[in-house]
Amino acid sequence: MFIIEDFDIKLDTDYVGRNFFYFDEIDSTNSFLISSKDITENGSLVLAEYQLKGRGRRQRDWVSVKEQSLLFSILLNKEPEILEPNLLNLTASLSVAQAIENMHQLDVELKWPNDVLVKKKKIAGILLESVSQGNTLEKVVVGVGINVNQPNFKGKYQIPPTSIKIETKRNVNREKLLSEVLNIFEENMGKLISNKNIILHDWRARCKMIGEKIKIIDNETERFGIFDDINEKGFLLFRTPDKTETIHFGDVSLR
Amino acid sequence: MDVNLLKRLIKMVENSGIAEFSVQEGDLKVKISKNSKTAMHHEIYSPHIQPPHNVATSSVPVAATEKELMEKSTNLYEIKSPIVGTFYRAPAPDADPYIQIGDTVSEGTVLCIVEAMKLMNEIESDVSGKIIKILAENATPVEYNQPLFLIEKN
Repeated sequence: MFIIEDFDIKLDTDYVGRNFFYFDEIDSTNSFLISSKDITENGSLVLAEYQLKGRGRRQRDWVSVKEQSLLFSILLNKEPEILEPNLLNLTASLSVAQAIENMHQLDVELKWPNDVLVKKKKIAGILLESVSQGNTLEKVVVGVGINVNQPNFKGKYQIPPTSIKIETKRNVNREKLLSEVLNIFEENMGKLISNKNIILHDWRARCKMIGEKIKIIDNETERFGIFDDINEKGFLLFRTPDKTETIHFGDVSLR
Repeated sequence: MDVNLLKRLIKMVENSGIAEFSVQEGDLKVKISKNSKTAMHHEIYSPHIQPPHNVATSSVPVAATEKELMEKSTNLYEIKSPIVGTFYRAPAPDADPYIQIGDTVSEGTVLCIVEAMKLMNEIESDVSGKIIKILAENATPVEYNQPLFLIEKN
């Protein structure tokens, strides 16, 4: 059971999470906000204990076990927050990493574009979805899944998963963790708007892949090169012997 | 307008079945119409149009075709990519495309996804109409403002 009062007392935001929706079960928190015409308040949050159709990039499954993880989506539909949607990816993953580190003293790394890792295992994932009518971006939904109290994981995964409980050997208070993530996220959104270089700097500092040899997979084509840096839009600069390319898609892994 | 061109136009109209023909070049409007009841009628009720020439003819489809083309081109609408990314016609690799050529769409119909850095951006149509052309290849990179679909508006 998620105790909303415990969450609310720790929440220190102006808009993120102030309009709060809780579901025991839902298809997907992202889909709910993407398709809802009624929920229009910037920063609205949907939290669900279980997703029937949880998913990741290109509709890969996101498996959830009841009441052991934090599955939520945040609606952003106001300028200037949504003007650079790709940087929201970095902002969201950075915020999750900082919150986990603050509360549980774990060494949290980031993988481009937005996976959150502890000891190379996935502890949280993010999926952003947006809607545009013609050329105009209408809204962005930041979907977050954090593995919190799962004692173990069964099945096959692209990146092996872990949970905060597995790493700390302790049961984690999800209410406090969620409020911490949201507090930091709103603070980071402020930084993104005032000076995005702060976010880019903080993100880089947590990404151990920069400077390493990486493999990029897109549409079953594998390519090798160096992860040189990220640019001011958050795109990956991929260096091969003959040139440096800007990568904005695909799966990236350490060689 | 060139006098010779005007003469040729008159001749063309004369030899064809056009009842009325008009053309505009800059400030100059030229109307050529047949000396029939229709033409008279038209002149009476259109006092502002002062045709420099007035020639008898009968009707031909040239003018109509041109008009149709004009209307058609203003009815065509391009949906462009709002972001840099990868263009996907379907929600998942093994799923059916959102739309096909010839499909009728309305405002809010999802047309495709453009992905950048795990931001899956659903692009909805902002007009109603019919898909005439799909201008980008599935799973290929697209630039900001690159045309993706050609829609014939209703």
